[in-house]
Amino acid sequence: MAKAKLSSTKNSKKEIEQIQQSFESEGYICNSQIATAIYLSQNLGKPILVEGPPGVGKTELAKATASWMNKSLIRLQCYEGLDEAKALYEWKYGKQLLYTQVLKDKLNDIISDSKGLESSIESLHNFDDIFFSEKFLEPRPLLKAISDENGAVLLIDEIDKSDDEFEAFLLEILSDYQISIPEIGTVKGKIKPIVFLTSNNTREIGDALKRRCLHLYIPFPDAKLEEQIIISRVPDVDKELRSELVSFVQNLRELDLKKLPSVSETIDWAKSLVLLNVKTLDANLVRETLNILLKFQSDIDAADSEIESITREIKKK
Amino acid sequence: MAEFLRDFIKVLRASDVRISTAEAIDAMRASTIIGLEDKAMLKVSLSQSLAKSLREKEIFDECYNNFFKEDYMNLSSKKDYENVDTSLENESFDERNNDLEELYNSSDKNSLKTSMALASQEVGLRNIRLFTQTGMFTRKILEFMGLEKLNNDIFQASRDGDNNREEELKEIREKIRLEIRDYVEHQLKLRTSESGRQLREEALSQVRLSQIDKSDFVLMSNIVRKMAKRLIALHSRRKRKANRGMLDVRSTIRVNQEYDGLLFKTLWKRKKVDRPKVITLCDVSGSVANYARFFLMFLYSLTEVLPNIRSFAFSNDAGEVTDLFDTKDIETASAETLLLHGGGSTDYGNSISDLEGFIENDIDRKTTLIILGDGRSNYSDPRTDIMKSLHEKSKRIIFLNPEPKSLWGTGDSEMNRYAPYCHKAKSCSSLADLEKVVDDLLRYAF
Repeated sequence: MAKAKLSSTKNSKKEIEQIQQSFESEGYICNSQIATAIYLSQNLGKPILVEGPPGVGKTELAKATASWMNKSLIRLQCYEGLDEAKALYEWKYGKQLLYTQVLKDKLNDIISDSKGLESSIESLHNFDDIFFSEKFLEPRPLLKAISDENGAVLLIDEIDKSDDEFEAFLLEILSDYQISIPEIGTVKGKIKPIVFLTSNNTREIGDALKRRCLHLYIPFPDAKLEEQIIISRVPDVDKELRSELVSFVQNLRELDLKKLPSVSETIDWAKSLVLLNVKTLDANLVRETLNILLKFQSDIDAADSEIESITREIKKK
Repeated sequence: MAEFLRDFIKVLRASDVRISTAEAIDAMRASTIIGLEDKAMLKVSLSQSLAKSLREKEIFDECYNNFFKEDYMNLSSKKDYENVDTSLENESFDERNNDLEELYNSSDKNSLKTSMALASQEVGLRNIRLFTQTGMFTRKILEFMGLEKLNNDIFQASRDGDNNREEELKEIREKIRLEIRDYVEHQLKLRTSESGRQLREEALSQVRLSQIDKSDFVLMSNIVRKMAKRLIALHSRRKRKANRGMLDVRSTIRVNQEYDGLLFKTLWKRKKVDRPKVITLCDVSGSVANYARFFLMFLYSLTEVLPNIRSFAFSNDAGEVTDLFDTKDIETASAETLLLHGGGSTDYGNSISDLEGFIENDIDRKTTLIILGDGRSNYSDPRTDIMKSLHEKSKRIIFLNPEPKSLWGTGDSEMNRYAPYCHKAKSCSSLADLEKVVDDLLRYAF
């Protein structure tokens, strides 16, 4: 027994490393924590709740997983007022209306054989009613993800923006991977989808939902990881400039700002520096391009005084 | 492994991390998949399945490091890989560890620690709650590890007149005892640092507001905030209010099925309306000095969780403190409010007429007005006429008075004259009271 356990441990370690590598080849650089979360979610069949500051790659993670597993990505963007008609399914009303019209015309054919009210009702009952059937069902993201033949990656983005009611309504889907449609019955997929929920923490997520998920917190990456990300996303940047700009951003995150620069903004900055044909950072250049990193005037003003000292410090290294 | 995980979860729970049984099962499954070999990976996977917010993750890290500081890991992996069932464990325990002297002198310090951990498991050290239990548990563990034999040896040595050996053995006994004591104290700290706080919080919420010490202020503000959050979460379910505008095609068609698809009965889209308006008026005069801080604290917490709230403070005339509450932290906000408006002699009549001036345009049938104060107006005109008009204009007026009902109307208290114009006038002198009242308020008012 001991041996079996040991070998399973080794396997899991290997597999997690494999996940990390294949994500890397997809252009998503991640640490072992993220890879472990993916591995656990696959093996436990649990959704992952991803939290972290904006722009650290929460949504990208789902995209990378989808392309790695070669499954389709179905995305549901949450917002206030999102309801089941937009998230789950909707009836095709136009067609249903037409159907009732057709039915009215055909009514005579159906009950022509029967005599008297009672037998008419009888034959009407026997008539196969397709008013509420899958033919008239318009699947929305959640239903699509569950009924996908090959399994899918479902991304429920920014769950914190939705209402409490919607959260409660997700519970059934997330724990049993099934959807109840009152008129038809329960729809259950063959393959469980991999589910990601992302949250920016504008509102506390309910305990019931949290309990059903693995919780992954993605913080801002450290300098080494961020450099790797830049290598993979903006390969044209010189080595020297790359380490300079990454350590500049890292320093910038130490400041007390309204919105800290995110990874995606570092990438944007790197891209624009390449475009400007920059070889090395200096204070003036930083000042001119700072609006790519910082999105609030008050932040830019606050950082302005620090630019000189930060660039000097970077140069020292 | 189940044992160690259960124990660890207990530690986490004691530290204020909420863990459900379902999550414990998840953690168990995760650790079976990951295995115990790679500790970094185990930590990551446990953290993902147990700690569900950033705050909880921080606590988790701390607990994890404390918990595995000892050789707990050694112990549990040994148990898992070598001897699975308990009878085996006891056997190996007996044969290995009965000789304390040998154990102490052996070069491998780990074996002493392991046997200590095993012994503490045996005597149920995980149930330790109070520091007074330290001595008892130390003794129990020592006995379990073979104190008797060591004592016999010492006795033997002294009978043989071998003073050196006697001293040597006594020294060993003392050193082991100290080590066990440290271990027990560490465990105690691990398990009670947070649960002690819990006990204290519970006790505090029962104490009368005026009796609370300044040193408890921070703790208290945490309780108040927690309470306010909980109440709001509980009652923030939005009321649906019909807003006739758009036709709701979906439900209309469904409802009209029974009329053969003819659009006979129309249904309209409903829009959620949930903007309770709250206006608070807080007495910060000398007579309620003891309560004022807590009233303000409570108002502050309420401001944090309710979107539409305007706050006023008064002693002889009223002033708006909404901005102060919005921009400053709780300490500064309440201190500044007390500085600006506090201390003076109370004049309810004047303050209420001030308030009316401020909120004239804002008060409507959706507004709830909360007044916190003792209703003692220094024999000035209580201006019940304004109270009456406010009563007519607003949805609800709630008067919370820290004095017990028996004192209302005595001396300069105008409480009995205000009460008829309040939808609710209640005495509330402890946090528990306050909670009850607010709970009530939220249930029916919004």
